[in-house]
Amino acid sequence: MFDRKGQMKIIESFFAIGVVFSALLIGTVQFSSSPNLAKQKSLASLGVQALIEIDANGTLGKLIVQEDWTAIKQSLDVALPIGVSFNLTIYDENSNQINSQLIQNSNLLGRETVSVQYFCASQSQNAQFFILRLQLSWTR
Amino acid sequence: MDKVREMRERNSGQVLLIAAFIMAFLLLSAELYIFEVGNVMSEFESNSLTDFVLNIKLSSRHIVIGALANASNGGSISVLELNLQRWASLIDKQYRFGKSILNYTLEQNSPYSSGIWMDWGTNGLGVSSAAVNFAYKLSGREMNLNQSYFLNITTTLLVESTYRGMLGNDKQINVTIRLLNEANAALAKQIIIYYYSEGNWLIPTQVNNYSILDYGNGTYLASFTASIPGQDVQVSAHVVDQREIYVRANATSTQI
Repeated sequence: MFDRKGQMKIIESFFAIGVVFSALLIGTVQFSSSPNLAKQKSLASLGVQALIEIDANGTLGKLIVQEDWTAIKQSLDVALPIGVSFNLTIYDENSNQINSQLIQNSNLLGRETVSVQYFCASQSQNAQFFILRLQLSWTR
Repeated sequence: MDKVREMRERNSGQVLLIAAFIMAFLLLSAELYIFEVGNVMSEFESNSLTDFVLNIKLSSRHIVIGALANASNGGSISVLELNLQRWASLIDKQYRFGKSILNYTLEQNSPYSSGIWMDWGTNGLGVSSAAVNFAYKLSGREMNLNQSYFLNITTTLLVESTYRGMLGNDKQINVTIRLLNEANAALAKQIIIYYYSEGNWLIPTQVNNYSILDYGNGTYLASFTASIPGQDVQVSAHVVDQREIYVRANATSTQI
């Protein structure tokens, strides 16, 4: 009788250990999948193309000089396809952030993001240089 | 008392299992949370070299346009060199794909001087131009790149004029203006027409029935009447294009 009780306890203990290890294993397999590289590259390309499109006639530099963050956000909304979330941070040539408000269409926290860097020169008579960091993510 | 102890001993395996399930649940929750928050931290940077070079070329173009706008509006022509120095220095600090070096040479061949040529003639042709040669060199572990590109930013103004004699010294004058950016038709941001009368350059106003017709293809027709003694009618067009580059040209009006 006592022997059986002992065996049951051992089986239960092994079962409990199995449950805990399964949780660890599921977490490792499920949550550490590597990002889809091709998908991320196409997203990065979309981001750079959008910035080039806005910058083609010097509009982007002009908007940054005017600190018109809303217009930059609206331009990106138009230039990027539906379903792409973005967050743009603008730095001066000394790497100081200059956009005083967020330039984003949704919060990227907890999303698989890709980041691209873009150099922008203003067409103003005394050229100003900016470094743009655009974070992109597919909307789930 | 013994019954309670007996019950505890009998159920200890179940308690262990429940505890294991709770632990598993907590572990999974923690892993999910770390995964979600960690995703933003694990973003990867993905610039292609092609995009990077395209980016450098486009920004170089903006710098040349800005410097030409500055010089043509009365600023110093040395601004082009100064801005390009700063630009090259910024690019040289980039090590994303390897060691970057951006060199530039201002066009010095006649009619250019320090990369700038401004010729605002009396024959109906006005030119504001800047020309720079660039050489971008990348030495990376995976690739080397040598890319040369030439930027020529030119705003050209063509002015033609005709006039018809009216009563006394009064004349009906037409001035046709054509604006070009890099030899392509371009729109003007501002056009001011002048005519020469008795030693002064005057701007025609509503008193002169001044009107300007925009054909929408870079061609404009300005018409006005003015009192100008003699047969020699001189007109001048001062134009600023959409890129803020200033250009002007004078022309002699032909009688029709």
